[in-house]
Amino acid sequence: MSNLVSFGYIVPELLLGAMAVILFLLSAMRRRNLLRKTIFPGLAILGLMAALSVLVNRTSGGIFGGDPGCISGCSLFFGLLATDPLADFFRILVISATTICVLISIGSPALPKGRTGEYHGLLLVMCLGMCLLSAANHLLMVYVAMETVSLCSYLLTGWDARKCRSREAGMKYVLFGGVASGVMLFGMSLFYGLFGDLSFQGLHLALQGSGALSGAMGQWAATLSVVFMFAGFGYKIAATPFHMWCPDVYEGAPTPFTALLSVGPKAVGMALILRFFYSIFLFPGSMETVIGASGQIPWLLLIGIVSAVTMTLGNLAALVQNNVKRLLAYSSIAHAGYILMGVTAGGQEGFEAVSLYMAVYLIMNMGAFAVVSLVEKASGSEELQVFRGLGKRAPLVALVMTIFLISLAGLPPTAGFIGKLYLFAALLERGGFWFLMLALVGVTNSVVSLYFYARVLKSMYMEKADTDLPTIPIRNPAAVTATALSFATLFLGLFWQPLATAARWSATLFH
Amino acid sequence: MGEAILFWFFGGLTCVLALLVIVMRNPVHSAMALIGNLFCIAALFAMLDAHFLAAIQVLVYAGAILVLFLFVIMLLNLKDHELGNARQTATKIAGAILLCWVAFKLIFRVMPSTTAGFPAVGDDYGTVETVGRFLFGPHLLPFEVASILLLAAILGSVAIAKKKLW
Repeated sequence: MSNLVSFGYIVPELLLGAMAVILFLLSAMRRRNLLRKTIFPGLAILGLMAALSVLVNRTSGGIFGGDPGCISGCSLFFGLLATDPLADFFRILVISATTICVLISIGSPALPKGRTGEYHGLLLVMCLGMCLLSAANHLLMVYVAMETVSLCSYLLTGWDARKCRSREAGMKYVLFGGVASGVMLFGMSLFYGLFGDLSFQGLHLALQGSGALSGAMGQWAATLSVVFMFAGFGYKIAATPFHMWCPDVYEGAPTPFTALLSVGPKAVGMALILRFFYSIFLFPGSMETVIGASGQIPWLLLIGIVSAVTMTLGNLAALVQNNVKRLLAYSSIAHAGYILMGVTAGGQEGFEAVSLYMAVYLIMNMGAFAVVSLVEKASGSEELQVFRGLGKRAPLVALVMTIFLISLAGLPPTAGFIGKLYLFAALLERGGFWFLMLALVGVTNSVVSLYFYARVLKSMYMEKADTDLPTIPIRNPAAVTATALSFATLFLGLFWQPLATAARWSATLFH
Repeated sequence: MGEAILFWFFGGLTCVLALLVIVMRNPVHSAMALIGNLFCIAALFAMLDAHFLAAIQVLVYAGAILVLFLFVIMLLNLKDHELGNARQTATKIAGAILLCWVAFKLIFRVMPSTTAGFPAVGDDYGTVETVGRFLFGPHLLPFEVASILLLAAILGSVAIAKKKLW
């Protein structure tokens, strides 16, 4: 589709960009207290809600954004972007995640008050990048969108410049990110050299056609370039061996932003991996032959190994953490491993399971970070010991945290259990020996993860509070958001059908 | 024949200078080697008829960015002991060997098998006009997104560097 027509389909992104520019302009004006406190978050939420409503309206066949014939997918901007249910599902996810992040951020002491406008503007630009990345259908677009997300994340990680830890985290993130995107670019350039094309469809045709990949050596080079590109993707989702930045960055970043960082880039990274592998290594129109189409290269084996190692390493490292943010960071690495199980399973079921788990993970993980943010705000620390006696001091907050932790561990009756159920079901559906082994590793890991989630629970309910620990105020947006998220976690654990329907809808890809 | 000689000359020089960038002890020498390296790449671009890219390569990379590198290096003014000792660990050596193997495979095995099959480029290939048409035609969106990206990066870095935070 041509440029002018295509702009009708990226109205959400345009709205986000426009609101970001408005915020940047307003923050250059003379500061008034009122402006900082309410107008900036209000405007950010307004922009996000406008984008979300346009998106929801379009996906439900509404009046905005072009003909409904494009619902099942078409290409925009001469093939740079694709608009399809996969993109729309993940766009809705990241816009919701950014909204939650804005809500948690209100009144957080980790965010310097003098630059609230810039903070929200950067959040919106990051959201715009994530939306584009979940729709990117061309390696050039993948790179530009990924850099948009990354640069905003670097800046926001180091946002609390008074704290040495925040600056250090920002610096580490920049260095790791730079290397990862360099390696990814090298992989892309190899692909371009081999096939003379960067669009996913073009690469698909080139890989299927025998021309460029005639010899074993062509296969070899293609494998190498995909592995290099996977370095960039894996860095975004924090999969082993590209997870090293994760604990330090999560710990150093301002907690409300950590909540977004642990969910947003991971979600769009997964969307990208799904789109990349499904549209390049798959016969058009079928979801079943991920292996068969890619010739002799065992992609699924590679992703399966990464998945198993990622979750094992994340869970084992989480066992010994005493800082709750670090603990959740390792837990988020482990969750990247769980979600990759869905990619390994492949097919329609695997796709659905990944989408569903990503939505569930968004709710429970952002909720957990919201609680950490509340506790940190009241007591100035996020070490495990400030959670002591939370059950007595702040029963509601402790209860909400309990729900999130149970969900993260994957126990019923929470949404986390349903998410894991779908992932394991997808693997068992697949049925081969190695898929069963991977499922076994996943189950073992879930059991291991119980231990460190239970440590937080023990600290909250069994251990006596130090005398000087304050209570947690609950009449603020962050606490209300956390409570709402905990309701959602419980609700989706009991009535998951709407989410499952949405996930099934998302498993349609533009070919 | 002449083209081949020029290619091997500039290509070889690119590799040598790239190596120098990472083995030089003094950061200023490394930066100088990088400038030379970028000039050689510009020459390679020019030989591939990508004149616009060649000019931009010199203007932006060799000109602006490297000057910035030099500024930073000289502002930091690191002493010898601050640079630390170079250590030859087993990982480094293993990495180097692996990388040499990958490069060998790419150059001698993959390259011959892929050179055939690309269409010849037109007369206007690589001119400013063609690049402009692509930039504002099929590649309009990345161009615009890059502008938003740069805006956010500039504003964000100013905001982070600002003294008065509260």
